[in-house]
Amino acid sequence: MRQPTPISDYLDTLTSELGFDPPLARRVRQEVEDHLHEAAAGDASVEAQQRAVRAFGDAREIARQYTALSVLRQTRRTGAIVVLAVAGIYLTMKSRLAWYGLMQWMLTADLQDYGRLGLAINRCTFTLALLLGVVGWVYIGSRQVSATFHTAYRDQLRRGLAIAMAAACPLILSIVTDTVMTGLRLSSVQAGALALVPLLTIAAEMTLAILLVTEIYKTVRRAGRASSLLSS
Amino acid sequence: MLKGHLDMIVLAALASGPAHGYAVIQEIHRRSGGAFALPEGTIYPALHRLEQVGLLSSRWRTAESGRQRRVYSLTKRGTRALGEHRAVWQRFAGAIGGLLGQLGHATANPDL
Repeated sequence: MRQPTPISDYLDTLTSELGFDPPLARRVRQEVEDHLHEAAAGDASVEAQQRAVRAFGDAREIARQYTALSVLRQTRRTGAIVVLAVAGIYLTMKSRLAWYGLMQWMLTADLQDYGRLGLAINRCTFTLALLLGVVGWVYIGSRQVSATFHTAYRDQLRRGLAIAMAAACPLILSIVTDTVMTGLRLSSVQAGALALVPLLTIAAEMTLAILLVTEIYKTVRRAGRASSLLSS
Repeated sequence: MLKGHLDMIVLAALASGPAHGYAVIQEIHRRSGGAFALPEGTIYPALHRLEQVGLLSSRWRTAESGRQRRVYSLTKRGTRALGEHRAVWQRFAGAIGGLLGQLGHATANPDL
């Protein structure tokens, strides 16, 4: 086991302070490790390492300076994933409908009314999700990268995230409607193993929804951890 | 005040060619005559931010020591942005220089 040195202690502290963004923490650690060893000019003495660490600055303060960029990057990623999820779900819906056409799977007469209602709900929710997704993506994408995580900037990112969350709600409702309608459709026909195709498209939609919810959760968590780092 | 100009300082330090974080700091010290006493770690968030906005690009290289090193260089946009910063700064410095010159003259001639 290696003995802790002032440089390794400092790197551990910095990595821990950057815990709100693990990929960033890994990259920064690697960069800073090279920096500190070079600043110590290859001198392995404790004094030389302490000097290099002192000149580098307080780890928490350095970590704070990454918060604005990190939260913006994660929020932008969420905005992009909303749009990708909407596009992906559109493709799966279209391919499922094409499959129904190919197989000539129609709803039975007694389910036609439910089918129409489901279709109307599905169209409304999907269109709403698409509109909100695009608005959120454009809004988040047009935010400038700030050097500090100040209140106005935090509000902008919060707004962007709120739009992404608002887009996710009707999108999930649209998937629920899709699932119910697929169930109705499959109950109307003798699908057998061929039912696997629409079921797979539903599974793909659900995967996209889970991915989206996970991204939103990660963004909320990162923003929360970044805010608490700033207020500590 | 220095913090407000950090991006310009970092871009200027990279104008002479690609460099890693430590070399950027050395270049700033050398060219400013050691006038800026920022904590060295402050440079890295600025480098990451400038990369995010497309003014810098970066890639990993293996240093002679065998450690991985991130090397930054100006992009075309970065070079353009530096030119714009430089022009604004020269106008500003000229204006302040003129003003301070007048003030100095007024102090020397209280009747003015």
